[in-house]
Amino acid sequence: MSADPASKPTTGVVITHEDIDRAHDRERVFAARARRGLFSRFRLLWLLVGPGILVMLGENDGPSMLSYAATGARYGIGFFIPFVVLTFFMALVVQEMTVRLGSATHRGHAELIFDRFGPFWGWFSMIDLGIGNFLTLITEFIAIRAGLGFFGVPPWAAVLSALSVLYLALVTHRYWTWERITLAAAIFNLVFVPVALLARPDWGSVGHALMAWAPLPGGLTKDTVLILLADIGATVTPWMLFFQQSATVDKGLTRGDVRFGRIDTALGAVLAATAAVATILATAPLFAHHMTAENFQAAEFAQTLQPLIGRFGASLFALGIVEAGMVACITISTSSAYAFGEVAHRPHSLNLPLKEGKPFYFVLFLCAAAAGAIVLIPGLPLVYVVLVVNVIAVLAMPPALVFLFMLANDREIMGDLVSPRWINVLATSVVIFLTLAGILFGISVIAPNLFSFIGGK
Amino acid sequence: MRPEKLRPDSPASPDQELVLSSLELDQLAGVRKQPIPRRHLRRYEKFLLWSLRIYVLFMVTVVIYQVLAGSR
Repeated sequence: MSADPASKPTTGVVITHEDIDRAHDRERVFAARARRGLFSRFRLLWLLVGPGILVMLGENDGPSMLSYAATGARYGIGFFIPFVVLTFFMALVVQEMTVRLGSATHRGHAELIFDRFGPFWGWFSMIDLGIGNFLTLITEFIAIRAGLGFFGVPPWAAVLSALSVLYLALVTHRYWTWERITLAAAIFNLVFVPVALLARPDWGSVGHALMAWAPLPGGLTKDTVLILLADIGATVTPWMLFFQQSATVDKGLTRGDVRFGRIDTALGAVLAATAAVATILATAPLFAHHMTAENFQAAEFAQTLQPLIGRFGASLFALGIVEAGMVACITISTSSAYAFGEVAHRPHSLNLPLKEGKPFYFVLFLCAAAAGAIVLIPGLPLVYVVLVVNVIAVLAMPPALVFLFMLANDREIMGDLVSPRWINVLATSVVIFLTLAGILFGISVIAPNLFSFIGGK
Repeated sequence: MRPEKLRPDSPASPDQELVLSSLELDQLAGVRKQPIPRRHLRRYEKFLLWSLRIYVLFMVTVVIYQVLAGSR
């Protein structure tokens, strides 16, 4: 569906390089849409997918994969496989709203919060996002450093190579090319599937775990609450909202593309859930063999798994952790740069040439470089940092979700794409669930004795 | 490419024609600079936003406490 040229003003409109690149992308979409047949449908899907898969696989980041690995190693599969599938369903519900918002308003999430709720609430959101993104970026470099450490790469070389990949993805100055390069890297997240197969899981037990949903092993304790929150934070976090909405706008999706945006997000959720479950399955043998997994880093997980899955499997595991950190490093730093540009009213698009988008690219690269530098500080308690960052992500989520909920129900900006009632019911359940999870964490820290009253230890 | 202005008396370049035929008006970078009008927040909405803000600040304090306690 091509936009109606007659409705366009012909005076005073500034056409930028960004507009021209986006127009070329849209032309390909219109051409594919105009044709009939299965191939054209697939081509249209190929042209319109991206933000959803990227955000879901991007959130399967270094800390997330380490959380899943710690989950499998400490608690096995009984409770956590269905739990992780549930968290991805929550992510799908939440992210679908960003597709509609981006397609209906053509504005990024930070921009909409500032415009609709004013700078007071806008800055609160930005502080949450900025701190959360920076801490998460640090953990991505921890993952990259630890994963490459398995192959004997020194930390400085690991950080430098990650920054080089980030630079290479940006150097094209074209959203489409950036998206395809990052997608190609993100699909490598599925490397955890062959790792899981090498661990020879008992498929009967996996099926039973999905159907029966065993109780939480060991009941509610401080440790189980921490890992529960880490697994939730591994799936739903504030940066995802900001990233997918901004990427939807940068890609140029419109109201007519919402259906494909939903397919894109659902596809991403399925792929990411598959990789997450595979990671739990890959490390579950450690639980079965009663091997301790208190302070494993990526390299140590790989080394410990080596007797069970072989050198090849362990190498794949380490590479998977590197990839997870790398893709998230790209998407999270991009999310920070988008938000900065939207709030500072500076050009913010991956279609910008370097000359026009200096502040955008500078923020993007600076965030990553600063986080990379911090990781080189010796003696950081890496796994602990990773778990705490995921917990912080869960705690910051309810306010972010309430803004999202209010925006997606704002008929003035959404028109007929306003959230239907069933989505509102699901979104409200997600907010309540995340808030309660946070409160549970608070109780576990401040008054762990209270757990005995609610059936825990 | 440097930004350029469309004028009714000058023939549109192929790029300009492409942009005008392919993008919706509010997809243009120049148009997106215009802010969307502020929305009036109702009392219960302000209450909800403040409650969640206090919740976040309190829980972050809990996390910092746990990190400090864990490091001792």
